[in-house]
Amino acid sequence: MLQDDPKMNMPAPLRKLLTGAALALCSALALADAYNAELPAELNTAPDLCRLAPCTEVLPGATEFSERKGRPFYVEGYAHKDGQRELVGYVMLSTDITDIPAYSGKPVITLIGMDSTGRFAGVKILKHSEPILLLGIPESALVKFNDQYLGKFVGDKIEIGRTRPEEEIIGLDAISGATVTVIAQNQVMMTSGTAVARQVGILEPVVREPARFIETGRTPDWAALVKEGSVQRLTVRPEDVGLPRNGEPFIELWFGYLNQPDVGRALLGDVPWRKLMERLGENEHALFVIRSGGKESFKGSGFVRGGIYDRVQIRQGADTFTFRDLDYLNLYGLAAAGAPAYDESAIFIVRPEHQAASFSAAWPWKFAFLGNRVDRATGQRSFASFDTEYWLPAHYLQGGRPHIEQPVPPWLRVWQTRALEIALFAALLVAVGIVYANRDRLTRASTHLNKWPVNAFKYSAWLISIGYVGFHLMAQPSITQVLTWFHALLFQWKWELFLTDPFIFLFWIFIIVTVFLWGRGLFCGWLCPFGSLSELLYKLGGAIGLKRFQFKLSKPLHDRLKWVKYAVFAGLLGVSVFSMTLAEMLAEVEPFKTTFLVGLLNRSWPYTLFAAGLLGLSVFIERPFCKYLCPLGASLAMPSTFRWFGLRRKQECDTCKACAKGCGSLAIDKDGRIDQRECLLCLDCMVLYTDGHGCPPLAQERKRRTKAGLPLTPIGADGYYIPIKPVPAKTPATV
Amino acid sequence: MVNPTMPTDPVEPPYAGHGALGLIAAEVWDHLWPWSRTGFARQRTLQAAGLALAAGATVMWVLAALGRLDAGAVIGWWFGWSVFEVIVRLGSKPYVKEGPWWGRRYRKATLMDMVCYVGFKNLLIGATLFIALKSTGALVL
Repeated sequence: MLQDDPKMNMPAPLRKLLTGAALALCSALALADAYNAELPAELNTAPDLCRLAPCTEVLPGATEFSERKGRPFYVEGYAHKDGQRELVGYVMLSTDITDIPAYSGKPVITLIGMDSTGRFAGVKILKHSEPILLLGIPESALVKFNDQYLGKFVGDKIEIGRTRPEEEIIGLDAISGATVTVIAQNQVMMTSGTAVARQVGILEPVVREPARFIETGRTPDWAALVKEGSVQRLTVRPEDVGLPRNGEPFIELWFGYLNQPDVGRALLGDVPWRKLMERLGENEHALFVIRSGGKESFKGSGFVRGGIYDRVQIRQGADTFTFRDLDYLNLYGLAAAGAPAYDESAIFIVRPEHQAASFSAAWPWKFAFLGNRVDRATGQRSFASFDTEYWLPAHYLQGGRPHIEQPVPPWLRVWQTRALEIALFAALLVAVGIVYANRDRLTRASTHLNKWPVNAFKYSAWLISIGYVGFHLMAQPSITQVLTWFHALLFQWKWELFLTDPFIFLFWIFIIVTVFLWGRGLFCGWLCPFGSLSELLYKLGGAIGLKRFQFKLSKPLHDRLKWVKYAVFAGLLGVSVFSMTLAEMLAEVEPFKTTFLVGLLNRSWPYTLFAAGLLGLSVFIERPFCKYLCPLGASLAMPSTFRWFGLRRKQECDTCKACAKGCGSLAIDKDGRIDQRECLLCLDCMVLYTDGHGCPPLAQERKRRTKAGLPLTPIGADGYYIPIKPVPAKTPATV
Repeated sequence: MVNPTMPTDPVEPPYAGHGALGLIAAEVWDHLWPWSRTGFARQRTLQAAGLALAAGATVMWVLAALGRLDAGAVIGWWFGWSVFEVIVRLGSKPYVKEGPWWGRRYRKATLMDMVCYVGFKNLLIGATLFIALKSTGALVL
């Protein structure tokens, strides 16, 4: 129904509904328990972990706990039976072991219990910063996800997705809409569990074939050793640990493997090297470490006799090797010409059998410096590990370096396991792009009375978008992703983070490309799941007899209200600079999570009322959310100002109102100009553009030619009948 | 008579007739240098500049108070400058490109057009500089 009355003509019940929805948005928010929870400052360092953390909750039956022990840390839990103390299992704090970040870029701090046979006994989230779990998905979903680990053996292959017995993979159900979070959480669980299980002997150590060295007799100098990779450097900058930059490294270390005869002799000299090798037992390995920069000690100022050097360790695969005082020897000097000056040095001995693990110099390993990172905003300290990989050059190893099967990264695993769905989704995006690129053919095949050549494709895209993309894949783009990217750009960009959700990743590539080609309309008008649902409801409303209740806001009112969405976007962007958490909360102005990710019936009533209210309103007004509130639409509208290819116009459009009256987006002004920021590319005006009966200038010309008996030539690219140009008759040839 | 084929009236900047290389050079200069001689002559620009810089400084100081001086100062400064640039350009170079970026169609810029242009351009420039500063360690987050 067209609305020419400049006054707004909104039925009273709808006004009340809109008011209710707005009030619902402002209602109290149910905050999650562990979201950015304040944890005791000494949680990361106190020997008595279980005094500060609820260990009994994750290790049922245990009544007494040891202090932190091992490397990485864990605690033992005991029960008393018949006066005897009995080991029940182990408790570990995830951040003692790994700092794998989740979607927020920060780790989910998890307390994990494992029984003495290596089965997960309990999991408790102490703190997380996941925005999706703040409001979109109840925190209980993550608790439920974690409960899936209970009773599972730490040595099993546990992955997100379906169980695949043929590959011995145990699948876990993901949390819809929080895929990245649960993938990170699975890495945290398995990394933590296996690290402790290996230490305590539950998991057998990985046996690696020992290295067999080639001795060439060469004595390379320092530069040559560095160049070939026999000596490596590990530099930690002050800013890496949250300190102000001062031009000096926080610590600069050089290290290398000494058992290889050429390398060892070159570094220590022949006699010292031979003496060192005589002191080493079978399957023992020596490495040197020197500090050439920074003031921080790698040995640690608090080191005590009999203790462990807690600032350095080496890792090979999942095995970690630490050094005690008996594993330390003085390094009296470096013989390699060109070695840098240093003010702290050591030779560390790796004794794998002491740590129930195997070490082989033929395989790559990492030298790690462990420290604390200070959050400059909050002052809180968190565990941080900095490492550099070392792999003895192939020419020092008989048979060269062994072939290593690199583990498949989690994001790649997602792409592999969902390959078919990804291919279908990519095909949909490409198909819509191709259809729109051929819009001229479709609009020419349509008339103002029959728009099916266009609408068949558009409505198909809507249905697929709602059903497959929205409800099945839950790939609804959101302003929170724009804010996350903005912050990732500023703070820490990780491709893996974005690749972990392939559908959103592909969708954004499509959005970016099409916004610059044609404007935001192809996404907003054809493929946005919520936008499609909204307009489909409007069409259905009209089809079932509600047309007489359907209305448009007056153009002047629309022209004022359309700026609201830009204000919402600017507000969210501004707030996100100060508080991403608050911005994520305010981003609930998008009803996407409620509609597709969580479900209308699974959220608390204010959200359901808001989303349902907007969808209900959509039956009567075409896309009210898209036109007036959507911050994502606003963020895409801004670059749409500079789209390359706009819709066509004729000069007569300045006085003719035919297209403007039919424009559902109210994107055509009184002068016939299209506001590309508001246009949703429905193509209705383009159908008229070449419709000899619908477009007034064309209809006029058609009638004129018909009356004059002139032929109706095809309509050219300029939107007019191709002019008839009289051609002079050919003069008969004279012989 | 209004030209409905463009969202606003067509405009020809002084370099519109230059050759390809001249046009590229002039457009690069246009992107980086918002002022023009005619723009300087208008006093409202100066007034607007004062307001814009005050807004930018406010944002910067709020961020600084939150303990994020290093990155916050940069963001605040860049935001303030972007507001200033919008107003300067509306007085001195009040046009934006229409259609393909390699084309030669320009049109009069509305306030929103200019906000979109400056916002988008400065986002790209800012992101590039931000990443460069971070990679050199000059900016600590």
